[in-house]
Amino acid sequence: MAAPGPLRRLLVKPELGALVGAVVVFAFFAVQSATFRSARGVANWLDPASTLGIMAVAVALLMIGGHFDLSAGVMTGTTALTVGVVATQFRQNLWVAIGVALLVALAIGFLNGWLVTRTGLPSFIITLGTFLMLQGLNLGLTKLFTDTVTVSGIDDAPGYAVAEWIFASRVEILGAELRVAVLWWLLFTALATWVLLRTRFGNWVFATGGDEVAARNVGVPARRTTIALFMTTAAAAWFVGTTLAVRLTSVQANTGIGQELIYIVAAVIGGCLLTGGFGSAVGASLGALIFGMTQLGIPYLRWDADWFYFFLGAMLLLAVVANRLVRRYAEAARR
Amino acid sequence: MTGEPGGAQEPTAPLLELRNVGKSYGSVIALEGISATVRAGEVTCVLGDNGAGKSTLIKILAGVHGADRGSVLLDGEPVSFGAPRDALDAGIATVYQDLAMIPLMAIWRNFFLGAEPTKGWGPFRRFDAARAKETTRHELAAMGIDIRDPDQPVGTLSGGERQSVAIARAVHFGARVLILDEPTSALGVKQAGVVLRYVAQARDRGVGVVLITHNPHHAYPVGNRFLVLNRGRSLGEFAKADISRDELTRLMAGGAELDALAHELERPAH
Amino acid sequence: MAAPKRLLALAVAAPLLLAACTTDGGSSSEGGGSGGAAADAGDLTFSVVTHGSAGDAFWDVVQNGAENAGEDLGIEVDYQSDGDPQRQAQLIDAAVNQDVDGIVVSLANPDALEESVRAAVEAGIPVITINSGGDRSAEFGAIGHVGQDEAIAGRGAGEQLAESGATNVLCVIHEAGNIGLEQRCSGASEGLGAEVATLQVDINDLPGAQSAIASQLQGNASVDAVLTLNSAVAAVAVEAVADAGSEAQVAAFDLNEDVISGIQAGDIAFAVDQQQYEQGYLPVVMLKLYAENLNTVGGGQPVLTGPGIVDADNVDEIADLASAGTR
Repeated sequence: MAAPGPLRRLLVKPELGALVGAVVVFAFFAVQSATFRSARGVANWLDPASTLGIMAVAVALLMIGGHFDLSAGVMTGTTALTVGVVATQFRQNLWVAIGVALLVALAIGFLNGWLVTRTGLPSFIITLGTFLMLQGLNLGLTKLFTDTVTVSGIDDAPGYAVAEWIFASRVEILGAELRVAVLWWLLFTALATWVLLRTRFGNWVFATGGDEVAARNVGVPARRTTIALFMTTAAAAWFVGTTLAVRLTSVQANTGIGQELIYIVAAVIGGCLLTGGFGSAVGASLGALIFGMTQLGIPYLRWDADWFYFFLGAMLLLAVVANRLVRRYAEAARR
Repeated sequence: MTGEPGGAQEPTAPLLELRNVGKSYGSVIALEGISATVRAGEVTCVLGDNGAGKSTLIKILAGVHGADRGSVLLDGEPVSFGAPRDALDAGIATVYQDLAMIPLMAIWRNFFLGAEPTKGWGPFRRFDAARAKETTRHELAAMGIDIRDPDQPVGTLSGGERQSVAIARAVHFGARVLILDEPTSALGVKQAGVVLRYVAQARDRGVGVVLITHNPHHAYPVGNRFLVLNRGRSLGEFAKADISRDELTRLMAGGAELDALAHELERPAH
Repeated sequence: MAAPKRLLALAVAAPLLLAACTTDGGSSSEGGGSGGAAADAGDLTFSVVTHGSAGDAFWDVVQNGAENAGEDLGIEVDYQSDGDPQRQAQLIDAAVNQDVDGIVVSLANPDALEESVRAAVEAGIPVITINSGGDRSAEFGAIGHVGQDEAIAGRGAGEQLAESGATNVLCVIHEAGNIGLEQRCSGASEGLGAEVATLQVDINDLPGAQSAIASQLQGNASVDAVLTLNSAVAAVAVEAVADAGSEAQVAAFDLNEDVISGIQAGDIAFAVDQQQYEQGYLPVVMLKLYAENLNTVGGGQPVLTGPGIVDADNVDEIADLASAGTR
């Protein structure tokens, strides 16, 4: 019998639902607002999409591997605050501060992964614990070092100029002035997709998420894979935290709290199963794109901001249902 | 009470041999005094009802745990495996009841799971997907399995097809000994027949097969030797020539008990 | 499988149809009046972007002020808010992209918003800051600031306390390192004419705050007034005074339902109201004047909306206004 045609193959891809969703959301706002679809408007809504997207991609990888990281949001705050405190309170070169923040992030990621694989407890619970601890540490240590709830003056640190160029500058593309975070986001999405689909490690991620016991039985290093995935979300949090610190030059102690669920939602819109073993990095990025468009689309339509969450929830449900319908159609057609 | 391998009938040396193997979990004796042989190109069936110790035996052969007593010999040399990976590396492949197949992943990904072929080096080392797909298609065909599309997720295959893919995988990766854990238990009659045919294929390719089952009707047609377990102890290891299917069944069920049960069921109590 | 396909098509088509059919006011014609030049009130659009979180009662009053001003003056006012400074900056950028005629911003984290505010100013859009960041307002190029100067408000509270006969005042600071709160306490010292003792508590641990205040009162019987800087802390201060069996009067900053009923019941002596309704209303008026007549208000100084004192004399009328969402 012949292999299924190209259309069927396309339909079964996890990103399709998210792509349809993104097109619909874009059309919805673009039709009603000229500014939304202008070059400036596009640059505007790509901005929240990019910082969200970098995290969503990492969280999606972890979810495909079968786990959740509820500490991902607050970790962006931890790394941003670390950069700030080391640069301003300990008066180090900004790059030293950024390096320290990376080490801190990787250590926390390793801790998360190690605890999950050692204890066998659900990652939801373990990372919830980490989240609460970090929330307290962020506030407590900031107050300890600065006597306030904000760390500021990051732009005074030596090495700021280069850091700003790498993390916070703007690039002109096709008439739109994009923040460089957008380019980093696209790069990370491409990288994550390549790792997932074209490397051994990617195969192990799918396997560990699909059925960890079975994977281990055929020799997949499930434990190492899981720890690596947690360290990846931590590294992504480091990148986003550093971007925030360099861009805003002043970081609040409560940064990032509450974002962890949004990363998960973006990943789910992108086709990731909550139970693991299936999903896509491109899909998660499209989910983040939908978020960014919605977040700034609503002000462009002059709607009451209170409707933002309602709209977002509706988008999520629509996207997930559309995903399910499309895949069911595609799967059924194969038989 | 173990059958001795006779020199005249079985000229080849055993590939895998168990000598008086025993295993206890705490104070519970799961296995005691088990001896059996497996030869290349032959099927040794391990039969027994539930609770007979079959899964403990598999775990020892697959390298999940070691035996507490007795020894396991591979090519005449005693071996002891620290992890499933060691057993795999020694050429002993185990196909578990759950098949170690990830339903959401494509057939070719499952086929090469844990042993992915790579192309390139350093950070550009990638999973050679093209070669994997081609090899999968080829190997399955060599086993007589016709899968339409190696990109299909394994979950869309029937139970029998999945078993066959698992067997083909084990054979491809150079398994010299193939241990099959209840491959037909969850299948209907026709599907079971299909799987047994692939077992025979594997046997004919020179693999030594250990077939664990509680169904003597499936075991008898394809087996060369039969090891019967009852509550952790061996009731004997028999060559096919030495035992009939009915005798095998009766032995498994505990012959006398079955007779008494039949007797009880026939005559109504007055 | 026709059914799921049809459903999917519907899911895709419906929002598009909806979008095509609805014409939102002012959405298809972007950038009505250009900033700076004299323009008709009917063309004006102002954006208000604050750091309030959704459903925050304090900022709801600000939003009501701004939107009511828009209605009264025939101006379109769009209110957006987000507590996260990065997102607030993105909202300001969105307003600039829409070529609005004026922007009102609260500068809770001035550093984070600097780039976006300066970009607005550079684009020729007049900016007025409200509520916080008054000291950086002019530096960023804003044409005015509307808010409450914390030191002056503190002084007002101190004077009111002196009037009621207090001599030994305990000032409760509920957020470490918040300069504005410290300014309120030192302002109170000035207004009182005597040193004011401060007590650090944590707004996130109200029961702990209550015991801290109570033990302070028990340890020092000469304290005759407790000045709280937040309405939630005021409520627990009332409890603490009762716990300690003290005769001290309680004064509060910022109004909410509990504070209003506290004043009505006599538990709270007075509240310093920063009249945030005006922080929403006045900037709209100021931007209109600037747009039509290039007028500026304040002469380079902030326009102060507080302190407004609410005590037993005016609390009943204020209570009615509060329930209408304007106080």
